[in-house]
Amino acid sequence: MEERNQGLSGGGVRRDTRALALRVITFLGGIYFFLYFITPESIIEGTKIKSAHEAISNGFIAVSSMAIGLGVINILMAHGSKFIFLKRGWQYSAALLLGLLIMIGSTLAHWMMTRHSASQIRDVQIIGDFAARIVEDAKLGAGNERSFSPTGVPELSKRVSALESYSLRIIEKIKAEESRVIKIAQGDLATTQLIRDSEQELLGLRESVSTLSANQWNTLDATNESALAQVSQRAAKVASSYAILKRKENGTKFSSRLYDFLYDGLFNHLGASMFALLGVYIAAAAYRAFRIQTFESGLMMAAALVVMLGQISFGKVIYEDMPSIRQWLLEVPNSAAFRAIRLGAGVAGLMLAIRMWLSIESAKSGGDKK
Amino acid sequence: MNGLEHATPAVIALLVAAFLLLFREFKRINKGFEHNIRRIPGVDAIEGAVGRCAEQGRAVSFTTALTDVGPVLYACLGVLRSIAKRVAQYKLKLLVPQYSPEAMAVVEDSVRDAYNEAGRSSLFDPESIMFLSSEQFAFASGYMGLLHREKPGAAFLFGSFAAESLVLSEAGQQVGARQVAASASPEQVAFFICTCDYTLIGEELFGASAYLSRDPIQVGTVAAQDRFKLIIVAIISVGVISATISNWFPELSWFKPLNLLSLGWEGK
Repeated sequence: MEERNQGLSGGGVRRDTRALALRVITFLGGIYFFLYFITPESIIEGTKIKSAHEAISNGFIAVSSMAIGLGVINILMAHGSKFIFLKRGWQYSAALLLGLLIMIGSTLAHWMMTRHSASQIRDVQIIGDFAARIVEDAKLGAGNERSFSPTGVPELSKRVSALESYSLRIIEKIKAEESRVIKIAQGDLATTQLIRDSEQELLGLRESVSTLSANQWNTLDATNESALAQVSQRAAKVASSYAILKRKENGTKFSSRLYDFLYDGLFNHLGASMFALLGVYIAAAAYRAFRIQTFESGLMMAAALVVMLGQISFGKVIYEDMPSIRQWLLEVPNSAAFRAIRLGAGVAGLMLAIRMWLSIESAKSGGDKK
Repeated sequence: MNGLEHATPAVIALLVAAFLLLFREFKRINKGFEHNIRRIPGVDAIEGAVGRCAEQGRAVSFTTALTDVGPVLYACLGVLRSIAKRVAQYKLKLLVPQYSPEAMAVVEDSVRDAYNEAGRSSLFDPESIMFLSSEQFAFASGYMGLLHREKPGAAFLFGSFAAESLVLSEAGQQVGARQVAASASPEQVAFFICTCDYTLIGEELFGASAYLSRDPIQVGTVAAQDRFKLIIVAIISVGVISATISNWFPELSWFKPLNLLSLGWEGK
């Protein structure tokens, strides 16, 4: 018994420590934002806090986003146990868990696919960036016989040769992919035209890259600079048409079609259907509310009638000033009521926020149970 | 308008006033002063609705809907705590569907505490606090499905709501639940008035917890907010008077005391 009492008292100490830790963390978390808010902008501008503020705010958001795991765990536990032990309504739980798993799987596959495509597109963009960088570095090292940049990058000729071989490798890769997409397209005119355009762009890039080897690369003269600029421009065009091609190719993959079906085809439309239910519910709720039983509901009915008639052109036919009355109702009595509600709720929220920040709670509301 | 990033001197003065009023009330409470809190029929109906569920052996549903962790959630938690305690005492089933995973953790802790306080910790079922979805209409359809399956005798809708408010409250209507709603958002209040038995408007949501618990700290907070509102009303009155004077006597249009409120630290 004594041991048990000690255990209980130990639990009490742990609970007190936990409560104290929560209070300290709440206070410290709040004081940063409080001080940031009350400090004049002119003082903040001169400190590093201004630049760090966004990172700190994002940090708080990141911490709160971890809680999404709690939601998934809760779903798995609640519905997993229902399904395993075949409790009442286990079929719904099974459908939910299956939906969750399929959605997670298809979203992951879609994410990995788009990530892979983005990295492939970046490989093409690198050709243009590399050509532009060679020009930039050579200009920095202008006057130097061997066109070294101050950062000690390799010789100009070596860099151009590397650009050439890299570009040719990428061009071959894209050509191989184009022939694959042609097979997938199976006579789809738009895709075939897209591939033809892409082939033209690719041909142009290959020509520009070929001219690089014809030039002398001891220094960056006007001819060389123009050749590199042309490579850069054509690489950008190829990257853009390649991105369209990848999107087209990705669209034909199973993971992408599954994702589109589940998210755009099913989820979004189900959400829209739920939203559409509002139309029916508004009518049902309005019928209930407008059954004139009291003076207040009569007043509400009259105001609603004026607002509705003022909204439509028929209202103007009945009485010319109907739209003006509607406007007055919305802007004067309605705004006054809205502002009063918002003001009251705002003040109440402020007071509660101060109390929460300072952890002023009594036993009845979850504070110390002493 | 994106809100105020840094406080102006007038805002700081108002904040200081809020702190002072709050601490003044807590000081009075410590000395044994007791505030009176007016009757709120909607809050009185909560007890009746839970009692009705006990008579009929039906479940009780409570949702904080789109409420995230913040003052509104804490205001809702006070009411949820009180309801959960009664539910535990009457050995009823409690359903707390959740939209926000962060709020869910806090809500679960609060309900567990309420069951402990009622001395029925063994009746607490963590699965009664169920995460539905963080998507607005997916949550709404989950809530509708839940209510149609469980057919609760009372449904409480407290917190922040948006377009789904009517879907949620209509679901309660369809299963014949006695409904009490509270929202600080005036746009949704209209929908609740049409579909619920009782609706708490605006700040009543914040006062409900104090009313139910009669906790001196919470009642003191309500008293402080009422006094703070008097300051706001005084400022509005000064604004109205000065605007009227400027309109009637254009030669006195320089008299704009409320311009002081928008003055920055540089006096501009």
